[in-house]
Amino acid sequence: MKAVGARLPRYDGVGHVTGQTQYVDDVRVPGMLWAKALRSPVDHAAITRFDTTKAEAMHGVHAVVTWRDVPLLEFGHLSALGIPADEPLLAKDEVRYKGQPIALVAADDLATAQAAVEAIEIEYENRPTLFDVRKAFDADAPKIHSWGNWYPHFEGEMDRRQIRKGNIDEAFDNADKIISGVYRPAAIEHVPIETQIALAVPEPDGRITIYSCTQALYFSLGVVAAHLEVPMNKIKIVGGTVGGGFGGKVDTAADTLAAIAAMKAARPVKWRWTREEEFLASSTRAPWHMEIIDAVTNDGWILGRKMLTLHDSGAYARFSPYGLTKHSFHHTGAYTIPNLHFDGYVVFTNRTPTTAMRGFGVTSISFAVETHMNRVADEMGFDPYEFRLKNANRINDTSPNRIRYTDPSSVDVIHAIADAAGEELAPAYAAATRDPREGDMLPEHLVGQLKTEGH
Amino acid sequence: MAKHRGFGISSIEYPTGMNQNGDPSQAWIKVKPDGRVDVFSGTADIGNGAKTIQSQIVAEAIGVPYDWVTFDNSNTDSSPVCTGTFASRATFVAGNAVLKAAKDVKQKILEIAGKEMEISPDDLEIVDGEVLVKGAPTEKLGVADVAVAATWTHGVLMTGTGAQLNEFAEIVDPETGEVSGPPHAAISYAACAAEVEVDDETGDVRVLRLIQAYDVGTAINPSLVEGQIEGGALMGLGLGVLENSYPYYPSTDHRGYSIGSYYMPSSEDMPSYETIIIENPSADGPYGAKGIGEMANNGQPGAIAAAVHDAVGVWISELPISPELVLRALEAKAEPRREGKLVAFDDEKSVNTVATGISWTP
Amino acid sequence: MKFDLNGETVEVQSPPLTTLLTVLREEMGVTSPKVGCDQGGCGACTVLVDGKPQRTCLTPVAAVDGASVTTIEGLGDSEHLTAVQQSFVHHYAAQCGFCTPAMIISATAYIDAGGSSDHVEIQEALKGHACRCTGYQKIVNAVAAAVTQSDFDLTTTTPTPNTVIKTANPAVKTGG
Repeated sequence: MKAVGARLPRYDGVGHVTGQTQYVDDVRVPGMLWAKALRSPVDHAAITRFDTTKAEAMHGVHAVVTWRDVPLLEFGHLSALGIPADEPLLAKDEVRYKGQPIALVAADDLATAQAAVEAIEIEYENRPTLFDVRKAFDADAPKIHSWGNWYPHFEGEMDRRQIRKGNIDEAFDNADKIISGVYRPAAIEHVPIETQIALAVPEPDGRITIYSCTQALYFSLGVVAAHLEVPMNKIKIVGGTVGGGFGGKVDTAADTLAAIAAMKAARPVKWRWTREEEFLASSTRAPWHMEIIDAVTNDGWILGRKMLTLHDSGAYARFSPYGLTKHSFHHTGAYTIPNLHFDGYVVFTNRTPTTAMRGFGVTSISFAVETHMNRVADEMGFDPYEFRLKNANRINDTSPNRIRYTDPSSVDVIHAIADAAGEELAPAYAAATRDPREGDMLPEHLVGQLKTEGH
Repeated sequence: MAKHRGFGISSIEYPTGMNQNGDPSQAWIKVKPDGRVDVFSGTADIGNGAKTIQSQIVAEAIGVPYDWVTFDNSNTDSSPVCTGTFASRATFVAGNAVLKAAKDVKQKILEIAGKEMEISPDDLEIVDGEVLVKGAPTEKLGVADVAVAATWTHGVLMTGTGAQLNEFAEIVDPETGEVSGPPHAAISYAACAAEVEVDDETGDVRVLRLIQAYDVGTAINPSLVEGQIEGGALMGLGLGVLENSYPYYPSTDHRGYSIGSYYMPSSEDMPSYETIIIENPSADGPYGAKGIGEMANNGQPGAIAAAVHDAVGVWISELPISPELVLRALEAKAEPRREGKLVAFDDEKSVNTVATGISWTP
Repeated sequence: MKFDLNGETVEVQSPPLTTLLTVLREEMGVTSPKVGCDQGGCGACTVLVDGKPQRTCLTPVAAVDGASVTTIEGLGDSEHLTAVQQSFVHHYAAQCGFCTPAMIISATAYIDAGGSSDHVEIQEALKGHACRCTGYQKIVNAVAAAVTQSDFDLTTTTPTPNTVIKTANPAVKTGG
């Protein structure tokens, strides 16, 4: 009996329907303490006073963890990709977003932990805030990071992601119309039904076990080991069964602090985020600001595209440089555009750091490019199916970064929805295939960019 | 004071694997003394069905029943590296790792079987848990018996290992963005058509129907693929018309803090889903598979925005397409700025209007 | 105080205003009702109280004094799956599974109260249950089928009707 292609039931299907599937919150460990976090109530401030003495002295409190307890306070999750650290695990002398964690309390029960959080004495001196990515470059904009408001460490220490291809000026000169638009998709929440959670258990042999909701066991193992400055075998991440993630459980948001609290208290510590924390303090999908300008001919070819992207990274970089890079690689969408001028910035604002969410970097392109395509079609009187089929990727077309498309199925999927929608296409378009361009589908301006060899 | 129907389309593409690659996944497999198969993979199952898919791949590749396969992704002591369940890589990259491990252990099974049956392993195959002679299927030996022989006659532990690592694609020129090789493991394509109903008095946008076509390479488990498509569709609908972490963006004020004050789609927001799965096998994916998980929520917002324009004649270029935005747009009836060849929409939102430190000219 | 939990009388040690959710999970060790939001918004904590679905995160345990409480463990187990449980497996109605036990509780109550297989009615009956993974379609398919059917093939799963799988036109590859 074939397994591949078969509609076999879920491996964990029976476990799910009987309530037997075990998530982190279902793990029971003797002597377990409960944790609560102190989080910044303000968008941007210096911390002028910070005293945990009263909290530590409370009956039932076993540990109060602050930045002093973190062996390596700043670790860039994507440092292997050249993205340096810029974010402390716990705030030290300033906070840059509302909800930023400042301390973690481990106590006998949730009520005691919460009372101890409220007993921490802390004072803030508000700083000017920056929320609008467009204003981040203004001379009088408040500075979020010491060097400014955008990420400066792309390759060659460039302060932006760039794509340049062909001759954009010539494309704009040759166009019959130049059409521009501004696209702004919002930040949204992942909303997994299981909130962020970690249960850290010190083991008799000196190791620490972390029951984790991570989407990436080894990625989180590396992050925790880096912050604790220990080899990987000092930590055991237990997980693999997650109550929804959608990109929000890669940040390793709870594991490290739970581990430090457990080590300090010498007791197991569970840190389960409330739904309020999940909404107000966990990382979100990024808001994007995109300006697209297309050079288009009357017979339906997109000669060139100029694009400016401002990616709202929130207060820290996290994975944003990676997301913007991916965004730039895909900014032509499913279409072949030979002349390109793309500039993208990772911009910092005083909001919760943004992170990966389903489609990271490209979801924004899909909305912006497709809405722009539909606007162009409407403006110039093109049929939206035909306009897409004409410009859709073919074998031997090349991508923004000069990679050959070897087997694009853009034509197939457009045909499929046209068919399902009862749309009758003109014969030339109904007959389109993904084969290399020729005849009417190969205009002069695309001849030079076809690649038949290599990548 | 009326409801208007509209229709709009989008077509998209999406890469499989981490951007620029360099993301390893590894797996190892052992055979128990009764022939059952234990798989150790580091891939988290976040609901996407990694446990299911990888077990199917192993069962198929070795030739044993699906329920002979035990899957353990539970911890970092027994499982090897998997970069993670993101970047739509669980089926392609991690799947390839278990596939390689399965082929490796299959070879070990055939070698022991060959000794037992006194036949070259090259002339043997495994079907439904039995080792058969190719072309003479009456001659057989159960995998269970092979495992017994391995354990108690030959003193061999039958294991297999596999690792998948697609070459890291360097950016060879940061000024142009040119890369040294494909910065993805595969590319998938999809298209979406949306039918909406817009109430011009309340601004409410109801998504009635989503027609979606996805090229998934090979559907290793079609029900699982549908689950991603349907789940992704509703998430895309939320992104398109309902959800906003910052309702007063860019301000951080008045954020929703509960399921209720943050508008996550409920069962009553469901459109009707019409799903077309296209199999256009990838060159290097396990059994030709490609990724689907993330792309599933990318096509809807663009199709919905076009459908809203078709319904009531306004372009909304922000998300979510909230009732407020629809009503303001209906009121403003804004026209683009037209100057010669130039047709400029949304001037008021551009950096040219709002900023002093950055500008942008067509 | 005491209540009947899945057919057994249990005595409560926790203070009377402790939520039933906390009592079930932390005192009784029954972890199938989940802490999804603790705000009454997601439905993942739902159990049957005297046969009716109720959010345990909003129920002080004192309120179930003398009542009968049924969690998914009291409906069926892996050896004896109920029709609804079987239908969920057969229709691929669970992905991450976190919302599933509570969803099945409410679906069971809906069917026992005479609910129909009409999809719109099922969507309305389950609107208090947040699911982020499935898009709800296969949950609705599963509940609709369980209205009339009590046995399901657990070795395979059934697609959403009208889903089509097609092979792409073969590509004519040239060069390179």
